[in-house]
Amino acid sequence: MLLSRNNLNRFLAFWRHFSGANAIHLVLVIFGILLVWTLISHALENPDRYLPSPIAVALSSFDMVYEGLLPSYFGDTIGRLIVGSIFGLALGIPFGLILGINRTVADMFYPMMNFFQSISGIAIFPIVVVWFGNSDKTIFIVILYTSFFPIAFTVLSGVREIPMKYIHAVRTLGGSRFQIIRDVLLPGSLPHIATGSRLSIGFAWRAVIAGEMLAGREGLGWMIFTAQDVDRTSEVILGMLLIGLSWIILDHYLLRPFEADTIERWGLVQR
Amino acid sequence: MSMASTLSVNIQKRIGRQRLRKFFLGSIPFLILITVWHLNEVFNWLEPVFIPKVSEVWEAFFILQEDCEGFSAAIALDQSCMMSTHILSSVGRVLLASIIGLPAGIALGIFAGMSRPISKVLEPIGIFANSISGIAWIPLAIVWFGVGWMTTLFIMLNTIFWLMFFNAMMGVRSIARVYEQSVLTMGGSRWDVITNVYLPGAMPSIISGMRMSMGFGWRALIAAEMIGGDSGLGFMIFSSASEFKIEEVFLGVIIISLIFLATDRYCLIPLEKWTIHRWGLVWKPH
Repeated sequence: MLLSRNNLNRFLAFWRHFSGANAIHLVLVIFGILLVWTLISHALENPDRYLPSPIAVALSSFDMVYEGLLPSYFGDTIGRLIVGSIFGLALGIPFGLILGINRTVADMFYPMMNFFQSISGIAIFPIVVVWFGNSDKTIFIVILYTSFFPIAFTVLSGVREIPMKYIHAVRTLGGSRFQIIRDVLLPGSLPHIATGSRLSIGFAWRAVIAGEMLAGREGLGWMIFTAQDVDRTSEVILGMLLIGLSWIILDHYLLRPFEADTIERWGLVQR
Repeated sequence: MSMASTLSVNIQKRIGRQRLRKFFLGSIPFLILITVWHLNEVFNWLEPVFIPKVSEVWEAFFILQEDCEGFSAAIALDQSCMMSTHILSSVGRVLLASIIGLPAGIALGIFAGMSRPISKVLEPIGIFANSISGIAWIPLAIVWFGVGWMTTLFIMLNTIFWLMFFNAMMGVRSIARVYEQSVLTMGGSRWDVITNVYLPGAMPSIISGMRMSMGFGWRALIAAEMIGGDSGLGFMIFSSASEFKIEEVFLGVIIISLIFLATDRYCLIPLEKWTIHRWGLVWKPH
């Protein structure tokens, strides 16, 4: 999965990105931003509080890495994301499949799912805190809740979009209901499962950050929140940059290639 | 034929059998949920601290609104009209942020998309800004603007702006160059190209960006109100939870969901369908 062809191509494209003409663009953009940022921070009266210069942010990152805080926060956050979204996906995919298989069941549960989906995971946070207190359990439940609905909805629509002729074909050849599920519905909805997973993990990532801020468990979200409390703005900006960068890496170099792979392998191209 | 069956046939004709079936089937889980919730109250399975009574949640709405002096006080966001103040300030922030953020994002996005080299340079900025948009900005916003209206508005604006910017830019970039060239060949000005090619061509992408930005923005707004706000529905549920007024939390959560559902169902989805129907480029040149 990680070493698939698409991933390799991605990596090669990434490499070319940094060695070709595009690299100059990217470097120029980064330098431009850093320059503007430095200028603004020098123009301010109290840069340490409002907008520390890039150098100050870099220094604070060395500081935090030296103390061993940054790696441990980072690991905590990623660990929560992985565990929470695995549970969310493991519950959401079968639920979506069941709903997709039976139209009556889908009609029954669709409005309720829609209702609960629009209560975002962050909004149920106060309720979960009252139930479970400020613990890791709270964050996991919020992540699970947020990542459950996008995947369930996409799997549901994926199963619906499978052309009936495949199901009819298996029926005609004397296949059982189980065989239809195993040989048609599951592989047919795999592209949607991949897309939905990416969506779910995206929502879960935001929920992790918000959950850590609100529940006060150590992690990147907690880091930027407490740094703001004690007026260490450089750490806030460092945390923001890390959050942004790690999501880009996760999304563009792991989830999107995985999605593209799945669609390429299992996608039903209709002619 | 009896009265009842005539009536039922009439209703079925009027609304449509399928829709009626969907409505009744869809209401079953809600009814079961409310029944179980009510049974919990009768048999005391879970403490009332954790699950409030159904009636309490209903009454909380009126208790919060009790001290309100009248319509004018509710409109002026008076502190005594708690419920309406919280709802109106959340919705107001959404409206204000969309009034500023949507046009700004669309205009800048189209402007950036017009020149392909520039849009290539701006693409990484858009990707990066979108990946930290929303919740991660909250601490910095609190440092800059303090706790209150500005912070929550900033978070919402930030989320909307970058999503719109990116979507408009990508929408313009995805338009086939033939259209642009044909307008220029026929003697159109740059402005003609913008109004007749870029704007309509990018419209489907812009509208789906609008729907996405409402989804992400509303979530981010609730989180921002919880952490850095002094009014709004997010603030209400968070402060009620810390006072263990669970019925107010339930009420707030239900209202948040209903507002989002209503905007999505009755504003954004019809808009999206209409735009794709009206402006979508179905025919693509090879």
